[in-house]
This record gives sequence, C-alpha cells and structure tokens, in this order.
Amino acid sequence: MEGTLIRFVRALRMAEVRVSTAETLEAFRATELVGWRDRQRFKDALGAVLAKSRAERDAFDDCFDRFFRVEDFSTDDRARSNDDADRQPDAIPAPDDGDGREAGRGDSAGNGAGGGGGSGGAEADRERSAGGEGTIDPAAARAPNTTMAPPVSPLGRLLMADDRPALALAITRAARAQRLEDIRVFTQQGLYTRRILEHMGRTDLLDEIAAREAAIAAPERRLGAALRTRYDRLRRQVRDHVEDRFNLHADADGSQLRERMLRRTRIDSVPRRDEAHMRRIIARMARRLVAAHSRRRRVTRRGRLDVPRTLRRNMRHDGTLIELAWQSRRIDRPRLFVVCDVSGSVARHARFMLTLLHGLGAVLPRVRAFVFCARLGEVTDVFRQHDPDTAMQHALAEHGHGATDYGRALADFETLALDDLDRRSTVLILGDARNNDADPRTDRLRRIRARSGRVIWLNPEPRAAWDSGDSVIGRYRAHCHQVSECGSLAQLERIVSDLLRRVG
Amino acid sequence: MFTGAHVTENPAPKLSDPTTSVEHVRAALERHAYIGSSRIATVVHLAMRLQKPVLVEGPPGVGKTELARTTAAMLDLPLIRLQCHEGLDEAKALYEWKYGKQLLYIQMLREQLDDVLDGARGLAESVERLHRHDDIFFSEAFVEPRPLLQALREPDGSVLLIDEIDKADEAFESLLLELLADYQVTLPEIGTIAAAGPPPLVFLTSNNTREVSDALKRRCLHLYIPFPDAALEAQIIRARVPEIPAALRGELVAFVQALREMDLRKLPAISETIDWARTLLLLHVDALDADWVRETLNVILKFQDDIERVEPQLPALLRRAAGGR
Repeated sequence: MEGTLIRFVRALRMAEVRVSTAETLEAFRATELVGWRDRQRFKDALGAVLAKSRAERDAFDDCFDRFFRVEDFSTDDRARSNDDADRQPDAIPAPDDGDGREAGRGDSAGNGAGGGGGSGGAEADRERSAGGEGTIDPAAARAPNTTMAPPVSPLGRLLMADDRPALALAITRAARAQRLEDIRVFTQQGLYTRRILEHMGRTDLLDEIAAREAAIAAPERRLGAALRTRYDRLRRQVRDHVEDRFNLHADADGSQLRERMLRRTRIDSVPRRDEAHMRRIIARMARRLVAAHSRRRRVTRRGRLDVPRTLRRNMRHDGTLIELAWQSRRIDRPRLFVVCDVSGSVARHARFMLTLLHGLGAVLPRVRAFVFCARLGEVTDVFRQHDPDTAMQHALAEHGHGATDYGRALADFETLALDDLDRRSTVLILGDARNNDADPRTDRLRRIRARSGRVIWLNPEPRAAWDSGDSVIGRYRAHCHQVSECGSLAQLERIVSDLLRRVG
Repeated sequence: MFTGAHVTENPAPKLSDPTTSVEHVRAALERHAYIGSSRIATVVHLAMRLQKPVLVEGPPGVGKTELARTTAAMLDLPLIRLQCHEGLDEAKALYEWKYGKQLLYIQMLREQLDDVLDGARGLAESVERLHRHDDIFFSEAFVEPRPLLQALREPDGSVLLIDEIDKADEAFESLLLELLADYQVTLPEIGTIAAAGPPPLVFLTSNNTREVSDALKRRCLHLYIPFPDAALEAQIIRARVPEIPAALRGELVAFVQALREMDLRKLPAISETIDWARTLLLLHVDALDADWVRETLNVILKFQDDIERVEPQLPALLRRAAGGR
C-alpha cells in the first residue's frame, strides 16, 4: 500500500494539490486507522489529511477517482459469475499491490456509505468500461474454452481464463516493472503500451496466434481467432491504462514547463493560443503578490507608540509603564497612476499589466488607469466594472485610434490628473516611447515628475532597441526616477513586486 | 421507573481509546442529535486518533460550531471556546498576569522585602539579593489562564473550539501554531507548558472571510461541511425537532432546498431550517401554505431584499415543496 500511496501523492502534486512529506506520513497513519476496504471512507480520510481547501478538495476528488479506478479490480469471482455488469462500486482497488485481489473482494458493507460525494468520474469510468466489455458476450467468449485445448503461451492462458482481476493485476505489475509512473510526454504512450504488452508475453502470444490461425483444424483456428479478439481487447485495455497513468503522473499538458517558458518569453512573441494560459499565470502572480505584500504591511504597521493609550492602559499599574500600546495606524496608501500606450505594438503589454494591477485590488486599492494612442483617456471605471478582457476591448475601442503621440498624451494626462498628484503618488508609464517623430514635450513629463513622488517608465522593448529609430526613451529618461525594461511576465512581476514594497 | 439496563452496542467513544471506530463516532454523534455525513464522522475519528486539530469550513449555519459542541458532549469533556475577533492577542487568548494580585503581594510582602534587603550595602548588592527572588512574582500562581492555556490545563483533556479563526489577525494564527502542532505553549517568563492530560481536541472554524494561512492549514485536518442534501436535512430535522409531522417536514425541507437554488444574499442554512421547523410547530401549522410562509419567512431569510425576491415566487416554490413531499 505504501508504494501506492506515494504514487498517489505524486499524482496529487501534479494536480496542484500541495502535499508535504508530513502530510504524506499522516496519510499513512490515517489509512492504518480507517483501512482501505470502504472506498468512501478511505477517500474521506485521505481527503481530510491531504486536501486543505475546497479547491484542493475538488482536485483531490478528481485525482482520487482517476487513480483508484473502480473498475480495475472491483470484480471478484463471485460478482463476475453472478452478474457481469453489476460490480461493486465501493470496494477499494489498491491497484498496484499483490493483495489487490483481496481488496477487490472487500466486503460490500460500505456500499451504503459510498456514492455520496463527487464520484462522478468513477461513474463515468465504470460506464465506459462496461460499454467496452459489453461487446463480447461472456457466454460466447467462454464457449471455445470448453471445446478446445487451452493455449500454450502464458498470456494466452491468462486471456482465456477470463479472470479479469488477474488480468488487470498482470497489467499493473507489468506497468510497474516498466516504470510507467516515469512517463513524461504524450508521445511516450505508444512506447510504454508496447513495453508493457511485451513484458506480459506479447511475442509468445502472437506466435501462438499466428500458428493457430494457420492451422488446418477448425477448433485450432477458432482458438486463434478468439485469442486475437482478446489480444486486441487487452491492447486497448493497456493503452487506456497507459493513458490514464499518463494523465495522472505526467504533467499532462506540459503546463509546468510551459509556464516557466511563458514567464520568460517576451510578451510580443507569446503565441495567441497561449493567451488563456497567460491569464492564468497572471492571476496566480497577482495572488502571490497579494499574499506576500498584505503580510508585510501588518508587520510594518507596529511602528509608533500610542502615548495616550499606553498611559490609559497602564493606569492600573499605578502609572508604571508595563504594557505598551502601539498605534495600529493604517498606512495611507499612495496612489498609483498607470499610463499605458495601447498602440498596436504595446497593446498586449498594456493588457497584461492592467490585468495584473487589477488583480492586486486587495493590496493596491487606489489605482487610476489611463490609456492612450493619439489622445489619452481614463479607464479606471471601465476596469472596475468589467473583467480585464472586456475592459481592454472597451478601452481600445474608445482610445486606441490614431498615431501614437506622447506629447499630446502627456498634455491630456496633465489636464485629467495633474491636480491629483502629490508626493505619495507614483506614476507608472508603459510605452515604447516611439513618438512618430513628433515633439516629445519632455517639459510636460518634467512637470509631472515635479508634482509626484515617483515616475517609473516601463519600456517593453529590449534595451538594445532603445533610442533607435523614432524612439525617444533617452530624452524621457532624464525626467523619470526609474526606467526599466519590461518585456516578459517575469520582468513585470519583479517590477510590480518592487513597486508594492515601496508603496506598501 | 426502572426500564432495565440501557444497552448500547456502541459504547461512547473516549478521547484516547484505541478501539473506537468511525461507526462508534457516527453512532455517538447521532445519539447526541448531530446527524452528519459519514465524512464528518471519519474526520472526527481521525482527529481523535491522530491528535490533529480540525479546520472546519463551510457556509454559516451548517453546524460547524455545533460539531465541536456535540463532540464535547459525546466525549463528556469540557468545551472551551475562544471566539476570535480582530485584535485578539495573547492577553485575551493565552494568558495574562494577575497584575492586581502581584501588586497586592508586593504590598503585603514589603516587610519581608525589607528583611531581604537588610544590611545590603549599595544598589548593586540590593539588586543582587532581589535577583534571587525575582521569579516569584512571575510564577504560575500569578498567571491568569485564558482559553488556550485553560484547555491545556484540563486534566482529562478538553474540546477546544477556536471559532471563526478567519476573523482574527494573521499574527494570531502564528501564535496558534505551537499549540496546534505540539499541544504546548511557551510563556516567556515561565517556560513551556505542555498539556496536563491528554491533548485537547481542537476545532477551528472558518467562514472564509479571508484565506487562512498555509502554515495553519498544514497542521490541521480539513473538513468542509456543505449545505446538506434533502435526505440528510430531513434526518437532521427529525433529530432536532422530533415533534414535527413527517409530511410537514418533507415540505419544509423541499421548500428550503428550493430556496437554496435561488440567487439570494444569504442562503438559509440548517440552523434556519431548524428554527423554522420550531416556529411552525409553535404556530400549530400542519401544512405549508402561502400565508403561513409569508408570515414566517423572516425566520429563514435574514435580508429584506431576499424576502422581497422570494415572495413573488412563493406559489411556484410551494408547488415544488408539495411535490417533493
């Protein structure tokens, strides 16, 4: 059982349920306490120990149902001879162990308790397998067995014995011997299927089938045909098993690898089809930043002694200062003014950054957002009312026209926001500073800088391209506190994290 | 008078009894009129045997607090409750010094102090002599135990309910970590105090107004109690309000279940269903009809908005309730 549990924990980790070693040990102890015969109880116990939130619990349920496949081992001899379709849904399989069969034979006492929460996956699996098996009438399949000699190859005998638990056990054993849990990429599935079949004695079986099919005697040929049918079924079964385990053990859609890549890739070269993925990464990034910075804030706020409260509180100690009271003053959060160029070249950067800032609402409540091409407009409310994608569409429809004109945009910004700037404001400008040879009007940026606490310019272009062509980043640079390259999500995250540290 | 020995197949579970099973726990909880899914019994059983705290989450009114209360009754242990709120700190949760007593003792012992200091030359020597005694005023005799310390000191163990942990600050969660992992607390002046008897069985409840920290979650078993399905809810009503006629119970449960599918500000929970059942019982209502429901809707719906939203739907809801009988 240990190996099984450890493999299960690995599968859970793949499904983004965080399981520590200590929790794995707990899982062992919990299993000892409740046993694994009652599937629902086993699941509840593991769930309580391993999944620590509702989201994790959902992932756990799904993973459990896929890992401890109901139909793999749940047929025991009795049930099979009585009624093939009606298998025991709640007996726990314990798929990889020698005692798997015994587990399958587990009493059905727990059936009443089972079937409760979220075994939908198992249900579907069972149906599918029932459908698959149903194509062969058990009676007809067994018939040749009585009239012809048993096959000579071990796998053939196993196939003709119609002992499904034994067969499933053989598959899992072969899979374990071939280290199926190490499967990593999709294309390996065929290879593993072949290896497992090979391990089970495929070569001998195929030789026997060929020999029998070529034989003259009719019973021989019938046996050959029956073996062939069963072998095909076995192959399907093994392939399903491999696919199943692949989904569990491998990072099925390569998401972790891809995420690492996407975070480093320059935003303009991220393929369109990965947009959804980017959104998920950004959402997670936002959550992480919120968690990190909301905690910091609480530590920093024990700053100042609250003298009146301290005196009051210590009156009972005869005025001796024993307890100190600290002001738990809420830090007045500086305002953040985000100004984004949304012309074609940097629109995606703008969208990702606004999405990220939007997700930071919990630690960064006072953000005003502006976008511009030719003219600049405020989109704070648009982003507050709609989800980031819709908001971006609105913003583009309204302000995304014309040739980029930074001078003009700065003028508009002055009209809209200059009066609201003060020493605690941070102005964040995202743009490539390609001004189409118009006047950059650096004097306006200087005025903005004079009024605000910090001006940060984020340029999505690689440093090498700065000041080439019509880029005037160098001239703006003199009037910014900080100019950073911001081409990938990783860079964006670092910048925002610094920003939060400064303002938080 | 005497109806014979009360035979129970399942003796009441004990905190440290290794022979109890999930069935025992479930049956015992049911004897105390707490009807829950088998998941709840499994988790309580695990918590008792693994000596792990349980973090109970779920919408308000599904019986999170009640679970702790019932477990305490079931184990026949004192229930010690700590209600969390913003600004909860050590002095309120863990311990405080009995300042008054300290001052009083110092006053009373002034003469002894004079004796101690008698003949001491210079400040350094006086302080030196005092140092030999200074700990007496910061000993356990002067500690005022608050719920957390109290729970540790119970000789037979206890059930500690830390209610609505999400309302406390994160700093408080950190304070809990030592208690939850090792069942001990450290008071800087005295040292580490371990549990006097068996470690307390700890329930933490959370309404998820904020995410509880990972460190805390990792030390707990996690139990999510959702709204019950119709069958379970009917069972709960039967256990809690046994006097209510079966037909009305069916209607009532079906009605509440239908309400939960609506888009309301606050969905009615089990506690509301129970209150409603009691109300209807008091009013001698035999069957749900539109008038009675309208009169008593404020028992299950706590916002005027919700009531206004539900009222026009009443006929349809009642038809469904009658059908679900």
